[in-house]
Amino acid sequence: MLLSKDRIGGVLLLLFCLTYGYLSQDIRLLPFQANVAFHARTMPEVLAVLGIGLSLIVIVFPGSSEGLDMRGYDWPKVIVFLVLMSAYGLTIRPLGFIISTSLFLMIGFRLLGERKIPVLLMVAVPLVVAFWVLMTQGLDVFIEPLPSFLTKKG
Amino acid sequence: MLDGILIGLSTALTFQNLLFVMLGCLVGTFIGMLPGLGPMSAIALMIPIAASLEPSAGIILMAAVYYGAIFGGSTSSILINAPGVASTVATSFDGYPMAKKGMAGKALAIAAYSSFSGGVIAALFLLIAAPFLASVSLSFQSTDYFALMVLGLVAVAAFAGKGDMAKALLMTVVGLMLSTVGTDQTQGVPRFTLGMIDLIDGISFLLLVMATFALSEALMAVLKPKGDADRLKEKEASANLGSMAVSKEEVKEMAPVIGRSSLLGFLIGVLPGAGATIASFLAYGTEQRLAGPKKGKEFGKGSVRGLSAPETANNAAATGSFVPLLTLGIPGSGTTAIMLGALIGYGIQPGPRLYIDQPDVFWSVIVSMWIGNIILLILNLPLIPYIARILAIPSRFLLPLILFFSLIGVYFVSFNTFDIQLMVVFAIAAIILRILDFPMAPMILGFILGGMMEENLRRALLINNDSWSFLWERPLTLSILVIAGLCLIAPFVSARIAAWRQAKSEPELEGD
Repeated sequence: MLLSKDRIGGVLLLLFCLTYGYLSQDIRLLPFQANVAFHARTMPEVLAVLGIGLSLIVIVFPGSSEGLDMRGYDWPKVIVFLVLMSAYGLTIRPLGFIISTSLFLMIGFRLLGERKIPVLLMVAVPLVVAFWVLMTQGLDVFIEPLPSFLTKKG
Repeated sequence: MLDGILIGLSTALTFQNLLFVMLGCLVGTFIGMLPGLGPMSAIALMIPIAASLEPSAGIILMAAVYYGAIFGGSTSSILINAPGVASTVATSFDGYPMAKKGMAGKALAIAAYSSFSGGVIAALFLLIAAPFLASVSLSFQSTDYFALMVLGLVAVAAFAGKGDMAKALLMTVVGLMLSTVGTDQTQGVPRFTLGMIDLIDGISFLLLVMATFALSEALMAVLKPKGDADRLKEKEASANLGSMAVSKEEVKEMAPVIGRSSLLGFLIGVLPGAGATIASFLAYGTEQRLAGPKKGKEFGKGSVRGLSAPETANNAAATGSFVPLLTLGIPGSGTTAIMLGALIGYGIQPGPRLYIDQPDVFWSVIVSMWIGNIILLILNLPLIPYIARILAIPSRFLLPLILFFSLIGVYFVSFNTFDIQLMVVFAIAAIILRILDFPMAPMILGFILGGMMEENLRRALLINNDSWSFLWERPLTLSILVIAGLCLIAPFVSARIAAWRQAKSEPELEGD
């Protein structure tokens, strides 16, 4: 098959290796290192050549000719999850651990089919609070539990 | 040596230290079982507690957490195919298919017996051979280390099979490429940081592992939800783990595997840089090759040998990795690197003088390894049915929890929210590559070895006045590289031989 899984992957990784090879030329070298056998660019350049060569081998001689079957994939849900994870990263500091994590878990449970709001709250909040207590009291790892404007004293 | 054992016993068998071993094993199993939190993060989380204890107690606690987490990691590999640690990736190859067949109990029992045997046998090797092995590994030069790393990478790619070898090698190279991101160790110049300050220290190993295994595994389950038949099967598996009994035939099958994998795992663990991950993959590959064409086909589909080999080897290597740490002061793995940091924090400089200056620390760690393994077995075998209940958690709750533990496990190490965004990027790439059937394990191995490989190659060239002749002039380096070359050629040669034999037998059959 012309557009087999191996070939598509090969092309994607070829693009990655070409970009890597291009960026490797941006690595700064000191003047006296021009004639040294090994410098900061050596390994990246060797790897770029190896990567490009192997990608071409995969494209030209694919191991299997199995095509890409995209039926049954729930892409919208995965994209929402990726956005949710990214948003969690952005909110964990401003909202604090307990609120951001509880929201993350509740939205996650809801996305996967849990409709009852009491269940969402009963599973997420106690778990997050218990985890926070274990981390802060048991393991001495400090995590800001709530938004800073709520915890600031005086 | 006898005096040393007595010193070790008197220290390790105190009530307080026994309590720490038990606590460490339990906490380690629990943390290691949660996909996303492996031994590295478990030990890192333990450092504040260990710092408040006296040195031997602190090290004993961390060592117990280490073993517990490795065992716990294999549990999540077997039950939900989400390895918490790179060293238990190979465990999932056969453990998960066994669990899917309704033999989760047996798979967990085999993992427990193999881990126990690997740990105990390797601790015996450590006791007998530590001084000798330390001197042997002292004679290794940068050139040999470089060659060994080439062998490790090539061997893993070679195990992928003839058709997939190019893909596995390509993924290894991608892993090596990712390892070059960050500040160059020799010149101190930034490489591939794209001007981002968060990439100056490079990509964290934990981040990459979590994103490519735990996150992508959970997201793949969201992407392609299980059909009703699969869900029913999983529910059945959680309700009925199947017998935990291991038959006589299976014990017979496992015994030689355990012997070989313990030795292999221990030796690989001793070599700095080559840790439990390489050991588990090499043991898996070795057993697959030794199994022959008929039994070899069972690998990846729930083979007892395929499960026992990496489980034995990773525990043996974990023990072995303490040899360079305790005798040379060189960490044998990422985890022992964290422990080295903790030891230095105590004001203890590991190295040849540790024997003489602090024998109680040295011997109590070794003795506690036996005790730790015994406690792990005693605690975990009865707990397996309860641990396995994790399968009964509905996926609508389990998947977001896996995502949470993966994200938070990485965030707790760095406290940098950029890491969460980077994990999302890697998770997207991993999902695409998984759909396209590109293997992830070679990439992880390439990433682990990349930095050390570059450093050893640079040092080798420096010693040899910028000449590459060390590759063929030093017999040990050359031998290792020749073995690596053979590993690369072997699948093609064996396929040719098989084709030739078939072609030869066909005319004979026709003649009959």
